This record gives sequence, C-alpha cells and structure tokens, in this order.
Amino acid sequence: MENQTRQPQNNSVNGTAGKLLRFLRGMPFSFILLFIIIAACVLGSVIPQGGGESMYTQQYGAATGGVILFLQLDRVFTCWWFIALAALLCLNLILCSVSRFPAVCRAWKSGGKREFGLWGSWLTHLGLLLLIVGFAAGQMLSREAVAYGIPGSTQPLGDTGLMLTIDAFDVSLRADDTVEQYTAALTVTNASGETRTGTASVNHPFDAFGYSFYQDSMGWATWVDIREGGELVKTDLICTGEYTYPDDFPSLALLFNKFYPDLVQGEDGSLATASPHLNNPHSLYSIYFNGNLMAMNLARPGQPITVHDYEFTMYDPVEYTLIVAKSDPTAWLVGAASAILLAGLFLSFYVRPWEQNRRKQHADQSDS
Amino acid sequence: MQTNPILSSVESVAFMAALVAYLIAAAFYFIYGAAKKDRFGRAAWLMLLMGFLVHTASIVARGINAGRLPMTNQYEFASAFAWGIALCFLIFVKKFRFDVLGMFVSPIIFLVIGYASMQSKEIHALMPALQSSWLGFHVSMAIIGYGGFGVAFGVAMVYLLKNRLHGPLAQRIPAEETLDLIIYRAVALGFLFLTMCMITGAIWAKRAWGSYWSWDPKETWSLITWIIYAIFLHMRLRRGLAGKRAAIFAAVGFLCVIFTYVGVNTLLSGLHSYK
Repeated sequence: MENQTRQPQNNSVNGTAGKLLRFLRGMPFSFILLFIIIAACVLGSVIPQGGGESMYTQQYGAATGGVILFLQLDRVFTCWWFIALAALLCLNLILCSVSRFPAVCRAWKSGGKREFGLWGSWLTHLGLLLLIVGFAAGQMLSREAVAYGIPGSTQPLGDTGLMLTIDAFDVSLRADDTVEQYTAALTVTNASGETRTGTASVNHPFDAFGYSFYQDSMGWATWVDIREGGELVKTDLICTGEYTYPDDFPSLALLFNKFYPDLVQGEDGSLATASPHLNNPHSLYSIYFNGNLMAMNLARPGQPITVHDYEFTMYDPVEYTLIVAKSDPTAWLVGAASAILLAGLFLSFYVRPWEQNRRKQHADQSDS
Repeated sequence: MQTNPILSSVESVAFMAALVAYLIAAAFYFIYGAAKKDRFGRAAWLMLLMGFLVHTASIVARGINAGRLPMTNQYEFASAFAWGIALCFLIFVKKFRFDVLGMFVSPIIFLVIGYASMQSKEIHALMPALQSSWLGFHVSMAIIGYGGFGVAFGVAMVYLLKNRLHGPLAQRIPAEETLDLIIYRAVALGFLFLTMCMITGAIWAKRAWGSYWSWDPKETWSLITWIIYAIFLHMRLRRGLAGKRAAIFAAVGFLCVIFTYVGVNTLLSGLHSYK
C-alpha cells in the first residue's frame, strides 16, 4: 500500500524531471536560445561596445543610457547573461547529442550498407559544441602580454617570464607612400636565458616559447630633454599620448599629443601630414599644470618650449612598434571542432541528403 | 598604384558589357514570362551566359592588373557577389531546367552589379592586413555562399508570388515541391560555404590579429545570418519546414545577407571597414 502511494509521487517527480530534460534537449528550447542570441547580437552590433558610462548617457540620454548600462548592453558579448545563453546552448547541444547517439548507432549498425551520412547531423552538433567550448576555453586559458618600444629597447613581457628585445623596426613603403608591410625584428629571452630571434610582420607572427608575437601597430615616439634654469634635469622617451614631467616638479607636465612627419595645415586650421617622410616634422604637444591645460601648440624637433623655469625640448622622433604576445592552448580544439563541423555539414547535405529521404518517404507513403 | 591602361580598359569595357547583358537578360526574362514563345527564354539565358563570360573577363583583367585577387573593396566584392549569384543561377537553371527563375534572379544580379558600378573603381595596393593567402579562400567562400542564398531568395520570391502569376509564366513555374527543393538545395550550398567563409576568416584573423573572433560587426552579422539559415535548415530537416513559411525564411535570410554585406560596411564600423 505504502509503495502504491509512493509510486505516483515518484512518477510525478520523474515526470517533471523528464519533461524538463525533454525541454532542455529539444528543438524549441534551442530556437528560443538562438532567437535571443540573434537579438543580443543585433544590439551588440548597433550599440557601441566598451564605452564609458558617461558616453552612453550622453549619446542616448539618461533613461536609455541607464537601461543600456543596467542590461549590460555596453558589453553584450562578455556579460553574464550572454555567457549564460551560450552555456545553455551548450547544454542543449550536449543533451541532444547524447540522446540521439544511440539512435544514430542503431541506424548505422542496422543498415546493410554503412551510411556515413547518418552521422552528418550528429557531427554538426558535436562540431558546434566543441567550437563554443574551445572558444570559451580559449578566452579563459589564453594569455596575452603587450610591449611597445623603439629599436634597441628591451623590456619584460608582462607576467610571461619572457624578455622582449626589439632589434629593429621597419615600415616598408611603396612608391606611392602607402605602407607595404610593418616588420619588427625581435629577440625573446626566457627565464633560463635561452633566446629566440625572428621577425614579426602583419599576417606573419613570430612563434617562440609557446607564444605567438604579433606586429600589432606602430606610432611615433620622441626624446625629450627637460632643463631647469638651463641645467639638464631629465631625458625621457615618450610615445604619442604619453606625458613627461620634471621629477622634482610633477605638477608641470608635457603631453605628446601627435606627430606629423610632413605637416600641412588646411585653410580651416586642420592639421595633416602630406607624407610619412620627415620633410616637415612637427609635434603637437600640450602643457598641463596641476592637471589643467595651460597651452597647446606645435613644435619642430629641437625647438625649446619654455614654461616658467623649465624648458622642454623634443628631438629625434622615432617610430615605435607595439608587439602583442599571445598563447592559446586551445587552438587545436577550435581547429578540430571546425573540421568536424564542416564534415558534419557535408555529410548532412551531400552524402545522405535528407531531402531525398523525405521525398522517398513521401513516395513510399503514396505507394502504400 | 600604377596600372596597365590596356587592362584597365578591358576591365572597364567588359564590366559595362556585363552590366548591359544582365539588364537585357532581365528584360528578356520578363518578356519570356509574359510571352508564349520559348525563344525569349533561350535568348535570355544566352544573354545572361554572355554577361557572365564578359563579367569573368572583367574580373580576370582587374585581377591581373592589380596583381591580386580582386575582392578587397566595395566595388570588387559587389562585382564578385553578382558574379557568384550568376554562377549559382546558371548551375541551378541547368540542373533543374527552371528558366523562368531568371525573371527573379537576373534583376538581383543586375542590382548588385549596378551597385558595384556606383563604387570607386580605382585600384589600390593592399594594406598589410589584407596581404594574406587566406583572403582568396575567405572571400571566394563568401561569394559562392552569398550566390547560393541569392538563388534561394529568387526561388522563394517565385514561390511566394506563384499564386498571383497568370498566363504563360504561371505554366512555366515548376511544381511547389520542386521550388521547395531548389530553395533547400540553394540554402544548403550557401550555408556550407558561409560556414567555410567564417572558418577561413577566423583562421586568417588568428594569423593577423591573434584572435579568431572579435565580435566585429561584420563577424556578428555573419553569425546572425548563419544562425537564421541554421534555424531554417533545422526546421526543414527535423520539422519538415516547407512551402510558404520556408520561402519567407529564405527571403528573410537573404535580407540579412544583404545587410551583412552592404549595411554593415556603410552603417557600422569595425575591422572589416577597409576604406
């Protein structure tokens, strides 16, 4: 009797769990997820990503900006709910693949002729699952470090334990002054003192010690001498966007805004460079005192800028390179997943066209 | 960039010839749809084939002149996009003997090549990021994929307008099952190539920037397009999606393709905005 009374309860639990399981592995659930992901992708492509809070309130107004920030639409692709959607899609793919595996195996074994196409859909799901997992694992496990400097400079590469020396940096130009290639000659030294040398150019990273070194971008740097009462107190190398200041008077700072190798000035006062060659070099700089902008102007290399007792002189402009080092232990998984996905699609569409089966079924039904 | 003026002329003349041929083909297809005689259909097909051949010559001449695959700016990609739709159309018409499809696909080809004709035709040397052997694979896959989706869109239009068409045109339209099958086949082809396009793009991005995927608007919209067609194929293969709903799905998918190509390049900025 007790058993009889308990049985319906168990059935009810199993029934609910079963229903939930069926829902989680079912196509309606995957479609719901995919439509939400589509909506998220549309919003993520239309709303600028990664801006500051003030940007959204200024651009969209306080109310809309507030909604964007509250829903994390300013960083759609890295926010918790988008990751949760991807995780649920993975769960859906896992449950669907596991539940269909026995049926595919039975069909594979039962037929007289082995039909590889039977695996098409299953492999497609597996490939997609591995692709999402591989991408997510790559985001978590990959390491990245950035270094920038002028030729001859050596610096530690983040927390990788490696030292990077930029031996040379070349910007090769075509006859029409367009850039053909950026190439950096690099030496990488590990903690044991082993070294690897090579070149990194765009589309051709340099591999060493498990990292790939990418020629990411470049810019201009300049040397700056700071004198106080005519006496040299500091020599510094700064890149565009960087400050320098007298060590004993840090409230006075010079910001290196931009460099024009071949300055031309438009009628409206706009500044541009006519060529990448140092024909008419000028630096745009700003002077700050206690964080307030005091002056902004142009200076030729070697032209002193006097502020009270201090004199700043920018000279010897030089191109610097920015190198990004990345290691991704999951690259093989993403590659394998892509191959599985493509194989699955090919088998689904061309080795065992489902459409033919459907038509055959229709024909059989019509005959019977 | 210095170019060969003879090749530039060949490219320009062949391109204009293709544009005109596609327009005449579209006109012939419309006459074919209204007239009882089949010869207009044959003339339209021949004109479209001629257009395709001179279009190919134009692309080859530009490729030789530029010293690279001509698929890197709005003009070149639009021209190649139209070429891809024409290629897929010729294959599908040959395979399914469905001439009247040209009435719906040839205007799309003309519109896309017309869009190309409005873009700057100047040949520029490639920026370093585009100097990769992956460029050819990536863009070729996109062209064939988009071509497949374009054909699916044309057939979907035929399907959706079928009941409103009368006279000789209505008689020449294949049975709904055949239209349905062509839509599926064209979408399957497009989907396979779009997947390859995205994978080759990811490999290239890894080589150039160190990451497969950056959620750049072009990538994001390619993913949206991919998901829409994935849902279409899923519903078709598992739930028997067919008929009008399938045709609407294929049409919506192609609108996404168009936005991914034109809308993203003009309205949104990102890594793919090579200006």
